[in-house]
Amino acid sequence: MTYPSIQAAPSAGDAIDRHARGPLLTAIGLAIVWLVLSGIFSLIAAIQLHSPAFLASCEFLTHGRVRALAETAFVYGWAGGAGIAATVWVLGRLGGNPLRGMNWFGAGSAFWNLGIVAGLVGIATGDMTSFSFLQLPRYVQPLLVFASASMGISGLLAWSGRRRDGTFASHWYGVAGLVLFPWALTAAQISLLWAPMRGVLQAVGAAWYVDALTFLWLAPLMLALAYYLLPKLDEKTLPSYEAAPLSFWLLIVAGTWGAGRHLIGGPVPAWIPTMAVVGFSLLAYHFSVVGLNLRGVLWAKGPAGGALKFGIVAYLTFGLVAFVGCFRSVALRTQFTHFASASEQLFLYGAVSMTLFAGIYFLFPKLSGRSWASPSLVSGHLTGVKIGIALSIITLALAGLTQGAMLLNSKVGFGEIAASTRTYLLVNTAAQFVLLASNLLLLVNFWRSALSCCGAASNAEGSAS
Amino acid sequence: MKNGPLFLLGLFLSAVVAWSAIVLGSHGQLGGLTPWFDEGEGSSFPARPTGLAARGQLVYADLGCASCHTQQVRRPDFGSDKDRGWGDRQSVARDYVFQIRPQLGASRSGPDLANFGGRKPQAPSSEAVLNLLYNGSALHPAYPFLFETRAIAGEQSRHALKLSGGAAPASGFEVVPSERAQTLVAYLLNLHSAYDYPEAKPLVKAPSKQEGKK
Repeated sequence: MTYPSIQAAPSAGDAIDRHARGPLLTAIGLAIVWLVLSGIFSLIAAIQLHSPAFLASCEFLTHGRVRALAETAFVYGWAGGAGIAATVWVLGRLGGNPLRGMNWFGAGSAFWNLGIVAGLVGIATGDMTSFSFLQLPRYVQPLLVFASASMGISGLLAWSGRRRDGTFASHWYGVAGLVLFPWALTAAQISLLWAPMRGVLQAVGAAWYVDALTFLWLAPLMLALAYYLLPKLDEKTLPSYEAAPLSFWLLIVAGTWGAGRHLIGGPVPAWIPTMAVVGFSLLAYHFSVVGLNLRGVLWAKGPAGGALKFGIVAYLTFGLVAFVGCFRSVALRTQFTHFASASEQLFLYGAVSMTLFAGIYFLFPKLSGRSWASPSLVSGHLTGVKIGIALSIITLALAGLTQGAMLLNSKVGFGEIAASTRTYLLVNTAAQFVLLASNLLLLVNFWRSALSCCGAASNAEGSAS
Repeated sequence: MKNGPLFLLGLFLSAVVAWSAIVLGSHGQLGGLTPWFDEGEGSSFPARPTGLAARGQLVYADLGCASCHTQQVRRPDFGSDKDRGWGDRQSVARDYVFQIRPQLGASRSGPDLANFGGRKPQAPSSEAVLNLLYNGSALHPAYPFLFETRAIAGEQSRHALKLSGGAAPASGFEVVPSERAQTLVAYLLNLHSAYDYPEAKPLVKAPSKQEGKK
């Protein structure tokens, strides 16, 4: 196995991780289950894009509902669940003390996952809210606010009770992700669902939430992990680190200004899309600094290093694509097409998930005290997801550009558009299948590896109590 | 950033200021938007949707129709929306003031529906829409769960679909749209944005034309 630092300091990490082992591994394991489940829904949705009749006569699986199911299971179940768990672990490691408040984390994680189960059942039976990334029915949303806040408590305690006075970039990003999400979800659900604003203002609020989820939650969680992992993997200090604080604050301040890029040409005040250009101009500094700080990742080795490299490159590419997409002349060709899904995939799968995979492959041996049951499943999973993600993003982007160009010509009907994008969408279906199969390998490997450690974990908990 | 409370305060302030600017700012601008009263016609626009149509919007939302259909017509010089016959003018915020849950949508795998009931030369008939929902097409999935196939008791229902060929039910049976299907179609045909609000008139070319008229 190629985990350099696992033998380097096994004892210190072991003591810190022991209390956290059960709750964190359970949370990550459940997140992987959501990832696989979301893959099944994504596959159905991908098939429906080129064969609309597929399963549509089943009321629970109309295209709209399947997409909402896939998105919700992915964003909240997988990315959120695994992201929060990994961040709490990182903050615990940086704090240098055993994690405190793990009961809060365990209870929060249990309610988080129950909330998602209830939410998915609600979406399938017709209670979805129709706001993208906020499809969870109204009645489970308060539960998710409390559950996510409760999971974050351990991380905050580790940060405030750290041994060293100074803080690292991982601290800032991690704490920001943990505390801003419950607030953003509260603000969004009050203004959209409990006391809804009128008319198109809902679209503005929903667009803001999409960017809050992206830049105030998932991006910080991912960067907390990336800034922690890279120095551990290549054992070097980060270059240009003095620029990191400003880059962090720009992300937090200007991250959500880009909300208007989802509304270009729409029935909203014109300053909202314009503000997206301003916001992304500021974010250009953030993305550049992340690139400068983490450029060492290009030479990173091992499974975790390879996954992290993919994640960081995808994050920077996403920044560029989103920035370019703020301009009206570009939006004219990409808006309302599969290109938007490609850009979404680039962030959610390419950037966030690949970084989380890197994190899981790095932290599992330390957290569980066991190595992965099968190294070949590790490389099989990572090779599979890299191929699947790249293929899916490229084909969706090409399908979107084709669709966008044809939509501009009013003589071209939807039948012709469907015929010309069909090949791309078929390849996308294949890519979704590869992704699902690869993630199953991760699930099997995680399960097999964790099974051998569960006994040890419960023994440790038993002796602790 | 060593000071914990100050750091947390900074985090919240940054995020709250951005939220206030974007969400509360636009709320301040448009939150008080009222329907437009046309003195010439003696009525205000947009009209409040009928009860059936308002319920139909919930069906539209819960089936997730917005994942393939938008409801926002863009300006004539921005995209081909007008040339496709989706609407003569762009959608404006006032079009949506009475909508409980506006379905602007973000994907056009199918046509825009913002002005579906106001299509020219004439709006689709409710039979045509119900037929599409029941039978589907090469591009549109069929939703048979919105219909009920039942034995004809006495006279045939006046709502029964007129079907022929393979789609027709066995003799003695009829296919009747459920209440959800009826509200959905009522909603779709209620969507129209024909009225020209002052803010919907083109901005660029208007001054020269008006000067010419004067």
